[in-house]
Amino acid sequence: MNTIVSELSMNDLNSKFFDIIQNESTAEDAANFIFDSVCEDVTLGVLFEVHHGIKTGLTELLEGEKEDEEPYKIVNSPECDVFGFSILKKTPDANCSCPNCDRPVSATRFAPHLEKCMGMGRNSSRIASRRIASNSREPTSYAGLPSDDEDDVDWSGTLHSERRKRRMKNNKRNSKIHNGIRSNNGNHNPDSNDGATYETMSANEKKNLLLQICGVVSEHTKKLCTRSTRCPQHTEEQRRALRNSVLEPSTPESQSMGLTAEDAGSPPDSSPSSSCSSSSRKRDRHRAVPKMKNKREKLSPLNGRD
Amino acid sequence: MTVNNTIAHQRLILSGDRERFKELLRRRLIECGWRDQIRMVCREIVKEHDSNSITLDMLVARVTPRARALVPDPVKKELLQKIKTHLLTQKNL
Repeated sequence: MNTIVSELSMNDLNSKFFDIIQNESTAEDAANFIFDSVCEDVTLGVLFEVHHGIKTGLTELLEGEKEDEEPYKIVNSPECDVFGFSILKKTPDANCSCPNCDRPVSATRFAPHLEKCMGMGRNSSRIASRRIASNSREPTSYAGLPSDDEDDVDWSGTLHSERRKRRMKNNKRNSKIHNGIRSNNGNHNPDSNDGATYETMSANEKKNLLLQICGVVSEHTKKLCTRSTRCPQHTEEQRRALRNSVLEPSTPESQSMGLTAEDAGSPPDSSPSSSCSSSSRKRDRHRAVPKMKNKREKLSPLNGRD
Repeated sequence: MTVNNTIAHQRLILSGDRERFKELLRRRLIECGWRDQIRMVCREIVKEHDSNSITLDMLVARVTPRARALVPDPVKKELLQKIKTHLLTQKNL
């Protein structure tokens, strides 16, 4: 009973099996043994499954949460922000010093600053030349200081703050005009010069005004057109006629004043319709602007800039 | 004793009833969530180690004892009862 012969026949197995079963406790034992073995088998089956999943990457695909936590961790170090980027990264190259005025300028504002500071670029050259001219004319107001900071947005000095405020006001008004919000019928401002007619102005005022604006009197509102000298609403003929009629009686140079600002520099003997080359026109304008500027400032806040 | 058990086991295998019991146990264990528990245990072990260094032997060695303990009592009792009655019914043949 205790030894199992290797060539155990089916009959022997059956007979021994029946022997075992006769006894209740041995049967119970056998049942426990069988259960354990079966349970082990089932466990092994599951483990095969799991192992297969791990080795083939199937579990990672199914779960797909392995690398989820890393990127969303909040970095908690003093030199970095929560994403782990350095805060200091920006600061070293943030300031460039302007070669013209030696002022520190943020890199992003450097190009605009240079444009203003050195007077290059479209608008700035006009502004700069005007500044130079006014600088020579009224040295007291600048107290002899270099005035190149006038248009710097990124300069935070207090010396000219009042002046700057005034300029800001002018800019606002001017921009309105440029946007066409205040066209010729919108001039109800009492201190605005353009609401007045030409009769109330002196010859000089008229001349300066007409150098800057179209000036054609509207048929409906009887007001002046405050747009530029090339305003598309009125024709060249209208402007010329107006200038002739307004300036003729007062000054002998009305003939040249009849022309628009661009043509003012052309030789007087040339016909008004003669076209100058654009480059010479530009030069002439530069020459003309500073002269206008001083008068303009006294004349009206409206025309502080064009 | 073990010889007795193996004899009974052997007979059960020969009759093909072992497969039946095994299938029954597998289904019961899936029903009661045992298989998912085992998977969680496996996942914990995988997290502890590099997934490349894991072997089946290691898994078997570490999981089997816990797996045995995790089998719910009712399932165990049912299986044992069924096996025992199955054995005892053979007696009457």
